[in-house]
Amino acid sequence: MIRRILPPLAPALIALLIFVAFPMLWVLRTSFNELAGGAYVVDALTLDNYTRFLGDPWYLVNTLWFSIRIAIVTTVISVVCAYPVALYIAKTTGFQRNILIALIMAPLLIGLVTLVYGWIVIFRGGGLLNSLMIALRIYDDPVRYMWDIKGVVILLVYIGTPYVVLSLLDSIERISPFLVEAARNVGASRWTAFWKIVFPMTMPGLYAGLVIVFSLNFSAFAVPLMVGDSNTQMIGLIVYREALLNNDLPFASALSVIMVAVNALILAGMAALFGRLILNRLEAKR
Amino acid sequence: MSGRPASQYPKRTYANGPRSAEMKHSMSNDAIQVLGVIKRYGATTAVDNVSFNVAQGEFVSLLGPSGCGKTTTLRMIAGFIEPSGGVLRVHDRDVTHLPPNKRDLGFVFQNYALWPHMTVAENVGFGLKLRKKSRAFIRDKIAESLSVTGLSGYEDRLPRQLSGGQQQRVALARALALEPQVLLMDEPLSNLDRALRVTMRRELKELQARMKMTTLYVTHDQEEALSLSNRVVIMNRGKVEQVAAPYELYENPATSFVADFVGVTNFLEGTALGMDGKSVGVKLASGQVLRAIAKEAVTSGTQVRALIRPERVTLMTASIEGENVLTGRVILSEYFGAVLRYSVQLDSGEVLRSEVHNFDGFIEDGARVWICVLPEHLRVIPQETAALT
Ligand SMILES: Nc1ncnc2c1ncn2[C@@H]1O[C@H](COP(=O)(O)OP(=O)(O)OP(=O)(O)O)[C@@H](O)[C@H]1O
Ligand SMILES: [Mg+2]
Repeated sequence: MIRRILPPLAPALIALLIFVAFPMLWVLRTSFNELAGGAYVVDALTLDNYTRFLGDPWYLVNTLWFSIRIAIVTTVISVVCAYPVALYIAKTTGFQRNILIALIMAPLLIGLVTLVYGWIVIFRGGGLLNSLMIALRIYDDPVRYMWDIKGVVILLVYIGTPYVVLSLLDSIERISPFLVEAARNVGASRWTAFWKIVFPMTMPGLYAGLVIVFSLNFSAFAVPLMVGDSNTQMIGLIVYREALLNNDLPFASALSVIMVAVNALILAGMAALFGRLILNRLEAKR
Repeated sequence: MSGRPASQYPKRTYANGPRSAEMKHSMSNDAIQVLGVIKRYGATTAVDNVSFNVAQGEFVSLLGPSGCGKTTTLRMIAGFIEPSGGVLRVHDRDVTHLPPNKRDLGFVFQNYALWPHMTVAENVGFGLKLRKKSRAFIRDKIAESLSVTGLSGYEDRLPRQLSGGQQQRVALARALALEPQVLLMDEPLSNLDRALRVTMRRELKELQARMKMTTLYVTHDQEEALSLSNRVVIMNRGKVEQVAAPYELYENPATSFVADFVGVTNFLEGTALGMDGKSVGVKLASGQVLRAIAKEAVTSGTQVRALIRPERVTLMTASIEGENVLTGRVILSEYFGAVLRYSVQLDSGEVLRSEVHNFDGFIEDGARVWICVLPEHLRVIPQETAALT
């Protein structure tokens, strides 16, 4: 497998090495350095930066554990939103389908800042949503969506969902309609055929979507920066703050290393779970 | 897995409520009745007023060229396609508008359609599990179906770990495990290589005979249809051309399409003369009159085609005299081991194909030959029917 894939990927691998591996190694090295005089990075081999984070319950609970929770919640909501959309698009053809795919892709193509400001117009205190809800008597006082955890969740879901839709769509379209007919033939209702045949076979797409969205959301910093508040100190935001505002590169590096390690650990867990459940069986179909 | 007593069949329910008059009218021995079924796709009619029946325990094939509507017909019976018109009955139950999961029909797909995420045993047991059978029952039934199809020991394999022939057997086992009232198969052997196809064909025939399973089988391979079937439904352009036993189809084709499609045949065009019982005279363009047999009455003076099979065209290298003797010259001889095939150009211009056994000697290209055609081997089909095809 790897031997077959490697040669055509060689240029990409070199680029990856230069633009990803090298900076990451540099970050790893920096994480063991010390800050002298409040601003100068001094070469050292210390674990201080790690213990500063790992020894502080506030960091552990309010940034690391909080980021994990936000990533899980937003990923689950994205999947729930994406699944019916992907199923629907898979049924369409031609022009209708192209329009739908373009609509789904649009948020990925528009800059994040533009998007977020668009959402602020809708969600802020006197924004469209609150006006509408109050006019419809759903509630009486404006709800604080933006600059709150609600805003972070809404936006992360919004940005993450298209990835899940696209990866699910790919999986759904690989399923031969004969497989569903065969299930119906042996007595399965529409629902059973979906649940026992279609759903398990979309696991590869679902898994790919989960991996992308979980990683993006776990390390998000722009969204909590723009629409969060003091209670949404996601770990990506702390890295940003330490590196660019506090100039504490060693600490920011240690945080990055922890972030990547935790992410990798969670993804490995997911891979093991999904692999055991289903991917091992479907592997050769890919 | 032998035939089960009739009392074990599921209770017949009538989709459109009991309509006693119609029920009485159509009670029959037939496992499947296809009554005037139509399927239109926009302006094209894929299946055009097709009617035939399959008796209990019978093996019937749908045979015809690509695109003639065989698959569409079969899929309508299975409930995967909604007919545009007509009625489908399975064991006297109107199933025309029933969803596929309520029809109790086995289906074997051309590409097997095995569920890739399930093992062989899971594939075979899926339908039983849906029927909420006990675990022990399911286990036994899986074992039984797999042993019948020669797959014991493959329970835990995934479909992708099987060869095409083995996948085919799993698809069959999956259908058989449910003991369906009727087994429908859409070109189940067409994806296998020739040797395996022949082996599987024999096994299928044995299995069907042993289990007395009512089977409707779609194929475009005439050898398959003729060797497997009790009766064959010949389709062409969405219509049924003839329904008959293989022998009948070959010896008494109803139309020139059937004659041409089933086996190789020679056509001689001519004008019908008077009939005398079943015997009719055919006047060829050359003016020569041949005696032939007609199954149905032919009007004197109409255009007809006389058919003769190549194996009935016996070539003589010595001059013969008499009625029904044609003369010509060998223009092509082909050697196929057991048989030899000749193309003979008649003096009147038509080309006849002849097939003879290798022990009948060898005739050189260009040799002059005499052909004595027996009237009983020369079958007349009116041109009107031929023009329809
Ligand atoms: N979904 C569809 N839309 C439009 N036309 C269709 C559709 N399905 C089938 N047809 C047409 O109906 C006709 C019959 O198709 P069908 O698949 O039944 O043929 P077949 O006899 O099974 O042929 P083959 O031996 O190639 O499998 C064909 O002309 C085909 O083009
Ligand atoms: Mg077909």
